[in-house]
Amino acid sequence: MLLIEGLEFAYDVAPAAPMRFELEVADGEVLSLIGPSGSGKSTLLNLVAGFLPARSGRILIDEVAIEGLAVAERPVSIVFQQHNLFPHLDLYTNVALGVEPSLRLDSVQVEAVRDALARLGLEQLQRRKPGELSGGQRQRVALARALVRKRKILLLDEAFAALGPAMRAELIELVKELVREQGMVGLLVSHQPRDALIASARSAFICDGQVAASAATAELLEQTDLPKLRDYLGSM
Amino acid sequence: MYSFLRGTGKGLALLLMSFNLQAAPPNLVVYTYDSFTSEWGPGPQVKVAFEAKCACTLELVGLSDGVAMLNRLRLEGANSRADILLGLDTNLTAEARASGLFEPHRLKLQASALPGPWRDDTFLPYDFGYFAFVYNREKLTSPPASLRQLVDDANGASILIQDPRTSTPGLGLLLWMKAVFGDEADQAWARLSPRVVTVSKGWSEAYGLFLKGEADMVLSYTTSPAYHIIAEQDSRYAAAPFSEGHYQQIEVAGMLRSSRQKQLAGEFLEFMLSEDFQKIIPTTNWMYPAVAGDTLLPAEFAELIDPSPALLLEETQVARERKAWVDEWLEVMSQ
Amino acid sequence: MSRRFPAFLVLALLAFMVLAPMAGLLNLGSLPGYEMTDLRFWESAYLRRVFFFSVWQALLSALLSVLPAILVARAFALQPDLPLRRALLRLFALPLVVPAVVAVMAVVSVYGSDGWLPLGRSLYGLNGILIAHVFFNLPLAVRLLLPQWQAIPRHHWLLAEQLGMNSWQRWRFLEWPMLREALPGVVLLVFMLCLTSFAVVLTLGGGPRSTTLEVAIYQSLRFDFDPARAVVLALLQLGLCLLVAVVTLKLQRLPEVEIADSATPTPITALHKALDIALILAATVYVGMPLLSVLIDALDGPVLSVLSSATLWRSIANTLLIGLSAALLSVSAGWFLLRYSAGLAYAGHTRGARLVDLAGSIVYVVPPLVIGTGMFVLLSPHVDVFDWVFPIVISINALMGLPFVIRCLGPAMRQNHARYHRLCLSIALLGWHRFRYLEWPLLRRPLGLAIALVTVLAMGDLGVIALFGSPASATLALLIYQQLGAYLIPQAAVTAMLLLLLCLAVYALLERLIGGNSDATY
Repeated sequence: MLLIEGLEFAYDVAPAAPMRFELEVADGEVLSLIGPSGSGKSTLLNLVAGFLPARSGRILIDEVAIEGLAVAERPVSIVFQQHNLFPHLDLYTNVALGVEPSLRLDSVQVEAVRDALARLGLEQLQRRKPGELSGGQRQRVALARALVRKRKILLLDEAFAALGPAMRAELIELVKELVREQGMVGLLVSHQPRDALIASARSAFICDGQVAASAATAELLEQTDLPKLRDYLGSM
Repeated sequence: MYSFLRGTGKGLALLLMSFNLQAAPPNLVVYTYDSFTSEWGPGPQVKVAFEAKCACTLELVGLSDGVAMLNRLRLEGANSRADILLGLDTNLTAEARASGLFEPHRLKLQASALPGPWRDDTFLPYDFGYFAFVYNREKLTSPPASLRQLVDDANGASILIQDPRTSTPGLGLLLWMKAVFGDEADQAWARLSPRVVTVSKGWSEAYGLFLKGEADMVLSYTTSPAYHIIAEQDSRYAAAPFSEGHYQQIEVAGMLRSSRQKQLAGEFLEFMLSEDFQKIIPTTNWMYPAVAGDTLLPAEFAELIDPSPALLLEETQVARERKAWVDEWLEVMSQ
Repeated sequence: MSRRFPAFLVLALLAFMVLAPMAGLLNLGSLPGYEMTDLRFWESAYLRRVFFFSVWQALLSALLSVLPAILVARAFALQPDLPLRRALLRLFALPLVVPAVVAVMAVVSVYGSDGWLPLGRSLYGLNGILIAHVFFNLPLAVRLLLPQWQAIPRHHWLLAEQLGMNSWQRWRFLEWPMLREALPGVVLLVFMLCLTSFAVVLTLGGGPRSTTLEVAIYQSLRFDFDPARAVVLALLQLGLCLLVAVVTLKLQRLPEVEIADSATPTPITALHKALDIALILAATVYVGMPLLSVLIDALDGPVLSVLSSATLWRSIANTLLIGLSAALLSVSAGWFLLRYSAGLAYAGHTRGARLVDLAGSIVYVVPPLVIGTGMFVLLSPHVDVFDWVFPIVISINALMGLPFVIRCLGPAMRQNHARYHRLCLSIALLGWHRFRYLEWPLLRRPLGLAIALVTVLAMGDLGVIALFGSPASATLALLIYQQLGAYLIPQAAVTAMLLLLLCLAVYALLERLIGGNSDATY
């Protein structure tokens, strides 16, 4: 379980609006974060990953605080919208890097990489380079790497934004499956409310650096008492 | 950016135009070497003195050195603007004469200060000097007394010399060794080589390195200490007198056959041999004036060593053998 | 196509500027009265030795300059918050400016018998040559390699941090692939600079053992007056460089360009930070010592009397004129070439792109003496060459500056093109507007670096101006040389310091004015 308590942060650039997050996600769950640009969704992911230092507050994973840990020590895997892969390395190597950055893998690890690639349907392509793949295939590779790392938390920062609706739906289903299987905790940031509907039973609306609302996804999208939410969703 | 371009364009045009200004009085063009025309050289004073007498303008064009001058002339041929070439030395006169570009002067050299007779009817000397090894009296207490001693003494002074392919003193030393050792020059060079700290491109580099203390002696001129004595009041530097004698460098000037101002050019050559010109030489060019005269040399020149006997190889021999001698030197020194 | 035409024009001009003078000189060889030496000189043991020594010293110099430069550039890249970082990088532009003769004196001041780190007689030989060459080229290489780190996408740094990569792994997966684009070009440039180095080799080399092709060419043209031989040797040198260029550029990998925001990477541990700082310090000391010695020698000298000389101020004006004009010309030519090359690279014609870059770079290797004399031969029957001193000197200096422009501007232009070309086409953003709104803001920094570098390079040039210059048109570099030749060594030291200070000021000004004062750390 992921528990975020009173996590505070503010950017150095003036005017700096202070942000404060409170959140809870259960094992096997994918929580979707929706909200307007600049509201703090990506900032929250960066805080969890450790790329940004929180001013105060706690991040607890199964009752263990991780906010003091270095990035590499945190049980987190993150998939960005792009630049997840190293273009000059083949798929196999890109995934293998997730296991061991020295690329010295034992046979068990090699198997794990192969399995991950197979799970995501990329077995045939493992010697290809990312430049030869489509956007969807590249994001699959990133997911394969996340899978193989077996970290508790999976962060998806608009990872599927550049993909078509069918592909997106497919990959989101895949993410759900992986998270449920492995007992991971997933945080999905997306600009597509439909993504939230597919991915999450529960979603949170981030606005002005806070979790403004959190509810079952369908209900959240119908909520009428938050003018900012209505502005964001428009007419759906 | 635009205004900058415009400005540069204007500046460039102005600069170009300034070169194109035609003076109304006749213009005598003299090709000479850089240090002659620089503000510390004889050039400025020569210009003032000559223009006062001739009702003309004197245009001194500075080209890097004697070799460059001759080459430039060869390239320009009969189209050259030059009326006079001033600054060749006797190592180049044979080739210069062979080019057919020079006109015989019709002047006699009266009262020559040169150690030997002057028989050249194409070129006239204006100054001369002797090569010598210069050292710091406080650092080197017993300098070699002869070229032979310099060469043979294995624990002797370390020296800085110049490359004969790129430098006049460098060539001068080569010829000096030939004059003293003859056919055994290459062996002499082999014996001298371990004491050569470095062979530099030109006189300035070698002299500069010497002043920084990189070697005990540097190949320069007997008149070099005069500069330090007169301009810096520094008497530490001296030239080492060699018993075999010192090799001479005689600098000459000649009139061009293609000159359009032959009358004026002749006047300049006469002026060159006169006291007004010659008295400028010692403290600007740091050489001996070619014309004898008691009042010409500053008192400090008396402190300089006596370089006699003056050595000088015959110019046609030099022109003929130079390449072979340089190649021989290269062979020996490249070991 | 509007890209192709100006590029081809520039290429044609380059070819003309290089080949026509050589043809002019070769033509001389057949005139009566001139010697045409037997051209089977490759049978000469002497020339074989010259050839191999030229290559050997240039190769060693290039390796000893570039390999440490990679480490130092990396140190700079990974320490964006280092105090005085900008000042240090500006300092690194200075060695390029120093005229060779001043540099020789400076190196001797530091490493000579009476110097701070005396090496004694062993300074004169390959050691001295390498020391001087590294002094010239290490800082240049650092300056040229540093921007490569900016090409690494931000997310890659984040990934590396999350995957727990150590310093070596970050190098292997992030930095090295990006470096491979710029490195071969930089090696080639340094190789060419060291191959054609003249006064350094001749004076610090210790003797004729250390003769290079450039010296042989000089000798042929000036002392032997054998223009044909000089041209053949020049062509030989050109051929040699082409060979080296082909080899190094084959190793160049133009990276797959992706749209990327750059980021400043965080250092891994305090130990790494300390190592980086130590590296930067070492490089600064190495480069700074000779420069400091110039300053010290100068302060000992007659500063006031030099400053009050009218010739000095005229020289300063000439120096600025030549420097800025040459830079403008060089950068314009380079711009058109690189635009074309970037287009080719984007369309997948990598070989064509490399050829264009090569053409722009290789011209450096033809000795200015050959080009200058050849130009003289071509022009003198028609015009009074002395009226044309400035245009000739400016154009030859522009030619010599071209490889620097290509190194500075090339990678940035390629990336810029890949990112935005389609966008520009789609909104019809062309020509002047494209320059004003797209290329100027995004390419300002490398453009500023290129202009600043070529300006100070031309300001410090001695070789070209010495061919044609007269005291009326003297530059500071020529003035120094004249002073040195007239026993005025203290004055020369002061003038040398003034040249350095002027170049530093101009460099800083140009980099600031053109490059902009952004917070970008590269």
